Amino acid sequence: MANLLWLQGGACSGNTMSFLNAEEPSACDLVTDFGINVLWHPSLGLELGDNVKQLLQDCISGKIPLDIFVFEGTVVNAPNGTGNWNRFCGRPMKDWVKELSDAAAFVVAIGDCATWGGIPAMAPNPSESVGMQFLKREKGGSLGTGFTSKAGLPVINIPGCPAHPDWVTQILVAVASGRAGDLTLDEFHRPKTFFSSFTQTGCTRNMHFAYKVSATEFGQRKGCLFYDLGCRGPMTHSPCNRVLWNRQSSKTRSGMPCMGCTEPEFPFYDLDPGTVFKTQTVMGVPKDMPTGVDKAGYIKLTGAAKAAAPAWAEQDIFVV
Amino acid sequence: MSMSETDDVLNKISTLLASGLETKTEPFPETEKEFGEILKELRALDPDDLKSKLVIGGFLNHPYGEEQYRCMECMYYLVHRKWCDLPELAVPVEAEWWCRLWRI
Repeated sequence: MANLLWLQGGACSGNTMSFLNAEEPSACDLVTDFGINVLWHPSLGLELGDNVKQLLQDCISGKIPLDIFVFEGTVVNAPNGTGNWNRFCGRPMKDWVKELSDAAAFVVAIGDCATWGGIPAMAPNPSESVGMQFLKREKGGSLGTGFTSKAGLPVINIPGCPAHPDWVTQILVAVASGRAGDLTLDEFHRPKTFFSSFTQTGCTRNMHFAYKVSATEFGQRKGCLFYDLGCRGPMTHSPCNRVLWNRQSSKTRSGMPCMGCTEPEFPFYDLDPGTVFKTQTVMGVPKDMPTGVDKAGYIKLTGAAKAAAPAWAEQDIFVV
Repeated sequence: MSMSETDDVLNKISTLLASGLETKTEPFPETEKEFGEILKELRALDPDDLKSKLVIGGFLNHPYGEEQYRCMECMYYLVHRKWCDLPELAVPVEAEWWCRLWRI
């Protein structure tokens, strides 16, 4: 049996909604098949008021062993570093986060807000939000660079806006079933099993990417969304086209560009008008190249790919 | 647009450019905002106003600049259809042409 506690800071509950839609395994499977005991969760917990407070204090004191502490949302520090804009059970949430993280065997940050600050931490960041162990790309966050939980791991980051439900439940199962040692984390503490490949890996538009045929409108079935519509699939680490959403589809498969929500900089360009769903260019050349590709190589490749493109690449091949 | 209509439009554009039609090749839209402003101008045109489309788009019937950029490398160019797929232009073009809405 592994005790799990889930709290929310500066959050929209999107990751909770996502978690509750998990399928493989489902949120119920965690309890019935994998021995996870949900001590409390903002949407599922039965306790209210002082009873929640007592439960948190018991976790901190060790009276209740806290195996997994899950946090969703940013750690809010405003105003002036006090954290009073986000109080919970009589004190700033940031204080609960610190003490519960110190008490927990494993700490898991779910979603962009908890991992790197996400949308609330965009400039000018009025809520003084940070992630658990990062603020955007900068390591530190609320718990500090050197933090490790009792099991010796840093905060396990499962980013996304929201995180895919099965990324969440599969990592929780790994931790709860004693296989945390099998997890390898990347430089941003993301489990490599999910975040080594790109969103583009498995995208049904890869042929159009290869032959440099662009989609020019949302929902178009032909064409790649990278060239004009701001898709960040070629430089975003996520398995969105390997572990499909609702086990059915993905943004790029349905004709919407990837927004790069599993990367620390999300939302890119601080959502300046004209930067969303529009590939940013300098003199007609994309500012953000696919990972590992340079400008000269990209231009050469484009010429060659266009010259070699077959006629079908310009047509809608996904006919009913 | 049928094949013969496409050919007619392509011939018309070729003739206009060969006769020395002055188009706005400068300024090149360096930012998305500038690019968007040109698109706005194009959207405001009568859809049949081919000449204004060429002028605002900055069409040339030859490659452009030191790097010799041309439609062939532009992402909106459909090689087999010889077609510019940018919705605001949507005209037949030759691979060796160029316009200031060029993007790669």
